[in-house]
Amino acid sequence: MATSSSGGDKFTRNLVIAMVALVVVVGASFSYFGSKGSTTAAIPSSVSKADGYGIVFNADVPNVPTIDIYEDFQCPVCARFSGINGMTIEKAIEEKKAKVVYHVLSFLGTESILAANAAACASDEDKFLAFHKAFYANQPAENAGAIDATFLKSIGAAIGIDSPKFAACVDNGGYSDWVRNVAEAGAKANVNSTPTVFVNGKEIDRNTEYFNVEAFTKAIAG
Amino acid sequence: MILLIDKFAAGKYGSWFGLLSRLILGGVLFAAGWLKIFTPAKSQMAVRAYEALPISLANFLGIALPWAEVGLGILLILGIGVRFSALAGGALMVVFIAAISQAWARGLSIDCGCFGGGGTVDPGETKYLSEILRDTGLALLALYLVRYPLTRFAVEKLAKTEGE
Repeated sequence: MATSSSGGDKFTRNLVIAMVALVVVVGASFSYFGSKGSTTAAIPSSVSKADGYGIVFNADVPNVPTIDIYEDFQCPVCARFSGINGMTIEKAIEEKKAKVVYHVLSFLGTESILAANAAACASDEDKFLAFHKAFYANQPAENAGAIDATFLKSIGAAIGIDSPKFAACVDNGGYSDWVRNVAEAGAKANVNSTPTVFVNGKEIDRNTEYFNVEAFTKAIAG
Repeated sequence: MILLIDKFAAGKYGSWFGLLSRLILGGVLFAAGWLKIFTPAKSQMAVRAYEALPISLANFLGIALPWAEVGLGILLILGIGVRFSALAGGALMVVFIAAISQAWARGLSIDCGCFGGGGTVDPGETKYLSEILRDTGLALLALYLVRYPLTRFAVEKLAKTEGE
């Protein structure tokens, strides 16, 4: 009797260990392959694969510095950054003083993916910058369920996008594969925080140049 | 010292302390992993921020580690393969302590990313000392379990006692 119960216990033990190992391996594999980009992803307008799938402004202006901006739409510090430096960046784009690449990361969760997708839809309407600004001005709390299609369409409406194409684009999340590509490229570029700003491939000083408009203006002059 | 601990472990409270160690170490590992498995990109970011590994390896570990933590946590809570899971959990703690220490020594400003979060933070927001102390405590619990793996309410207990 003792041997049979001990044998049964051993069987249970091995079964549980095998099951736990299986869950770990399968879960990690799903997670790993799920985070991989896709070469067949639908790409929004003005996106350049060579620039880490970022949304590019002034791609063809010669002899200007390249500014790469990595953000997550849900990151509160990104909203603060945008509030402080948004005008400066938009001015640099308008006056063709810099090539600006926006990388919309999504590491904070599914609502970041929805927001990034909607920003891509707005880019197709030539309204990325306006969407970006309006979103940050109205940024909801992180992962609180507030960022949904209705909210994102209301941001679109506020900046004058009324096309059914935009609404459909927000609804069906057609750019979510692209959002993953952006995330993968950001991971390869060793971006470990948001916002992160590179000028000509080199990060500007996190202690002094991110949240001071004079210092930032000087830093992005190249 | 060792003798005293041996005496304690063999005594009335030894196996209860073992249960407590299992639940604390297992619970912390499980929670730490669980809070990270749903945000793989963030977890990868947290590992990269240590600047100790090649980017591709850091990105792989950012996904693999949280799942390994969940698995070890389950085994410890259930009390199955306690010696092995405690050894693995303790080894993880030693690795974490080393990683945090090197970040501290090199003057990086990062969050350990132990329970989600992670990445670069403001220099005033680092908590290296408390992170290291916590992981040291957990490593000691793991060590206790490696030496005295027989504990209360472990699924495996019966087979173990009869086998030994």
